[in-house]
Amino acid sequence: MGIYPTSLENLIEQFTRLPGIGQKSATRMALFVLRSNKELAEGMAKSLIEVKEKIRFCSICFNLTDDECCSICRDESRADGTICVVEGPGDQLALEESGTFKGRYHVLHGVLSPLDGIGPEDLKVGALLSRIDREGVREVILATNPTTEGETTASFLANLLSQKNKDLKITRIALGVPMGGDLKYMDRMTLEHALRSRILICS
Amino acid sequence: MNTHISPAIIMRIKEFGESDLLITFFTSDRGRLKGVAKGARRSKRRFANCLDLFCLTSLEYELKRKGDLHFLHSGKLIDAFPGLRSDFSSLSLASYMVELTEILFPLGVADNKMFELLKNSFFAIDKGKKKDLLRIQFEARAMALGGYGIDFDKCCSCGRTYTGEGRAVFKRSKGGIACLKCQQESKLSPGLDHDTVKGLKTIQSSLWSEVEALNFSDEMIREIKSVLKLHVEYRIGRRLKSAEYLD
Ligand SMILES: [Zn+2]
Ligand SMILES: [Zn+2]
Repeated sequence: MGIYPTSLENLIEQFTRLPGIGQKSATRMALFVLRSNKELAEGMAKSLIEVKEKIRFCSICFNLTDDECCSICRDESRADGTICVVEGPGDQLALEESGTFKGRYHVLHGVLSPLDGIGPEDLKVGALLSRIDREGVREVILATNPTTEGETTASFLANLLSQKNKDLKITRIALGVPMGGDLKYMDRMTLEHALRSRILICS
Repeated sequence: MNTHISPAIIMRIKEFGESDLLITFFTSDRGRLKGVAKGARRSKRRFANCLDLFCLTSLEYELKRKGDLHFLHSGKLIDAFPGLRSDFSSLSLASYMVELTEILFPLGVADNKMFELLKNSFFAIDKGKKKDLLRIQFEARAMALGGYGIDFDKCCSCGRTYTGEGRAVFKRSKGGIACLKCQQESKLSPGLDHDTVKGLKTIQSSLWSEVEALNFSDEMIREIKSVLKLHVEYRIGRRLKSAEYLD
């Protein structure tokens, strides 16, 4: 039994189920909802249900959408022929916010992770292969994260894609020193990558 | 409780709270431990890339006042085994090794030999050594260190001493071998040549450097592989998750 009335305890309990929310934050949020007007609660409840009922995967790139296709796949002004492969919708959003990439995306929904029982057939790999043929793709940019599993996934895809299509250009996002970084705090691997993939400024 | 520094292999990583990571790591001197790296997802300074999966890291940590959770202070990357991420089969083999270690060594059970085995196996995968051989070398030694070594000294049915001549038959329910008089070779009781028995016995009891110097023919590897598959599954009671991605 908690110190609050049951319905308030229930709400706190629901909030603690969200990622990164502990008992304290959940209590603060629940009390905020309690103090706010009824519209806030109604709006939240409606959005919660709506997101579960309406959001699905884009039938082409597996990005999140509330239509058959996502807004990027529908956008005719974007360049065809280049697909940027990302782990999840969050990564796709981050790249999109940078505003540099004007091609198409493909969301894998995970990375290879044998420890968690996640193999190639659990990711949207088959759909990527058929897109390359169907859409006449010339370049695939592998933008999985530079973690052990992300790197393995990129190597795996590079292998698979190059075997399937000899003319396909396969690229990997650059790894190295981040903006605002400090060499003193970099690990050996990062510095190695940064030096190996250095670029020519003038010769 | 003072802070302590150990070389450690990062076994599992989980996002924890808003900016923390929950890390399971295997140390040379304190076994498998769990710890929280506060703020590790926001700031990379104290843990410059050293908390990536399967990295070998020098970790500074201390036990929290309550429970068996540790508090990770800082870390320094010793080796990231880049070859381990170069293909899916390498990652799968490393995952299998970690999963078997987790089962054989509960939290806090220290075994320096096991740590050395895991570390040396990772170095060998990184260098691109033959995966079939690495797998059996790891399995046999890990099982022996975990208390499930196969008994090669005598027939587990009639008790006759195995002299090291002639074929022997593996009996999984006994975790040992039987002579041909007591047990026929079959799929569930595979046979082993005397050279294979000798090789497997050496892997179980020897240090990595000694085992590395040995020569195993493809036939020996094949025989050992089928014996160990039966042995591990029988003793553990199930197939490991990551085993699905091997071969
Ligand atoms: Zn789409
Ligand atoms: Zn016998």
